[in-house]
Amino acid sequence: MNRIVRTNLFDITGLILLAAAFLLLSLKLDVGDVLPSSFLNLNTIFLSILIEAFPFVLIGVLIAGVIQIFVTEEHIQRWIPQSRTKAIIMSCVVGALFPACECGIVPIVRRLVSKGVPLYAAIGFMLTGPLINPIVIASTYMAFGNNTAIAGWRMGLGFAVALIVAFLVSFFFRGHQFKEALTNTETLTASRKKEPFTKRFFSMLTHSIDEFFDMAKFLIFGAFLAAAVQTYMPAKSLLEAGDGPFSSIAVMMGLAYVLSLCSEADAFIGSSFNSIFPTPSVLAFLIFGPMIDLKNTLMMLSVFRAKFVFSVLFFVATTVFLSIVLVQSFL
Amino acid sequence: MVFQAQQAVRAAILLFFTILIFKFHYTGEITKFINPKYIGLSQIASVLFLVLFFIQITRIWEKKTHHHHHNHECSHNHDCDHNHDHGNTPMTLKKVISYVIIAFPLVTGFTIPAKVLDSSIAEKKGGMAVITGKSEKSSTNESTNEEVAQSSDTEVLPNPYGEISQDEMNSLVQKLKQSDPINMDDYVYYLNYEEISKDVATFKGREITLKGFVYKEDGFQQDQLVISRFLITHCVADASIIGFLTQFEEAATLEKDTWVEATGVLDVTTYNGTEMPFIKITDWKTIEEPSEPYLFPLNVRIL
Repeated sequence: MNRIVRTNLFDITGLILLAAAFLLLSLKLDVGDVLPSSFLNLNTIFLSILIEAFPFVLIGVLIAGVIQIFVTEEHIQRWIPQSRTKAIIMSCVVGALFPACECGIVPIVRRLVSKGVPLYAAIGFMLTGPLINPIVIASTYMAFGNNTAIAGWRMGLGFAVALIVAFLVSFFFRGHQFKEALTNTETLTASRKKEPFTKRFFSMLTHSIDEFFDMAKFLIFGAFLAAAVQTYMPAKSLLEAGDGPFSSIAVMMGLAYVLSLCSEADAFIGSSFNSIFPTPSVLAFLIFGPMIDLKNTLMMLSVFRAKFVFSVLFFVATTVFLSIVLVQSFL
Repeated sequence: MVFQAQQAVRAAILLFFTILIFKFHYTGEITKFINPKYIGLSQIASVLFLVLFFIQITRIWEKKTHHHHHNHECSHNHDCDHNHDHGNTPMTLKKVISYVIIAFPLVTGFTIPAKVLDSSIAEKKGGMAVITGKSEKSSTNESTNEEVAQSSDTEVLPNPYGEISQDEMNSLVQKLKQSDPINMDDYVYYLNYEEISKDVATFKGREITLKGFVYKEDGFQQDQLVISRFLITHCVADASIIGFLTQFEEAATLEKDTWVEATGVLDVTTYNGTEMPFIKITDWKTIEEPSEPYLFPLNVRIL
């Protein structure tokens, strides 16, 4: 009896909390005047990031649901080439053709890996997906005064970086690197096939819901951090830090990481820094941001082991940095 | 039948996200968050939340001897391939925290009004460094913008937030080059701003009318201020500041963030060693903050 109360206690408190929250809401408290204006700015930026991200996240979790229910391990084995090199190249190309956003891609990657896609291939897909797609190309082209050079470098160098990182992952990591154990799924999919379509469709949707709740807390936390950085961290101090050619690359990468902008929208921000920083640093901003950022790291941490997430972060950061240093003289 | 409290919480959250987004659209507050071009996309999100809500409410009451419909073969939730939470495991402190995090934007979204970004954000975004930078960068690739076609004389109708063709864009640029006085309408503001920054000399001496909010920074003279605007590509998180440095006697008396409408004469000045456009104000008045305070870039159709 005592145990029942104890296990349900959190449920009850959860409900009460929620009821309290909505009671507060119905009172129509105008707290706008009480809070400092910087917090109002923060809240507006925070909500806008979420409103912007939700369509992509929801589409992402729906695709993840489809993969979970309708794609079998046999499909994956047939589609993915056996050779590692081919698999990596293919995954990067598929990512480039797939118009994803970095907030929607983590749940998809997780489903792909759980269905037997090799980890390195999934990472290749995750890195090129948000970076290389028509919307990003178009917005970069426009933001830099209809200049094809920056857009071209962004795509080309980004693709190369994704390939290198995928290879690095294949050398250093085995298995799926999930936080929680994962066992054989064959029996599961075998039974699934016999189920009627409507039932499978329904479980696809419930899966998407679960996936959403897994991701949402990290997305929201990440969006809040990114908004806080925008509200309280002056860009000026960064500008002063990024004086030398190398430090300016590092500063712009750091900025891309903490701002966590959508890859479709970061081009104008990037171009507004084009004057202050040399072009290679701006390019580093444009390549690094879509591949991995604060919001994205948090979402990956919900799926993968921390060690793996930080290794990927390290691989991407160093590869982007070194490749920018290498091509600097051509820019 | 057993009431699944956690599933109910999840259903409530999905429903309230639907309502929150709907509310922003209904009240028009949505333009304080995102570029109106993406309104459709955000409505899709609201509809998807509603669909997921209707799916979720079927899970609130489930049989007591619970097993997942897709989980027959497994003895344990986490032995299977779906290594994620179904909302059936007992609540722990960790989960309460995650629900609080998820409910947080709902609480702030419903209770705290959306705020138009102000000059403190402009400062954090780089302020004058970004504004002067615009001209510095532009002067280097001046040569590229000489290929503007002379042909199309057709009047371009404002096509809010939609895409325009390269021809329409060129004719807008032509129109600007011939106009005196220049009127900085919201629709063409950014386009004109870019053109003027690129080639200040051409526009020197012309009359210009513009509106914006007052932005000041250390290092300005008493009679100087920037009449500035925010440009939003996607959402206010990617706002970048643009504006013109202006000069008039009463500038010192104007508070930051006051909205003004002003007319003046374009000139060239140097600020921190950078040549940039500069307006000598002849006439000005304070105005109410416009209902659409943000600017959105025009998009040129590439294909």
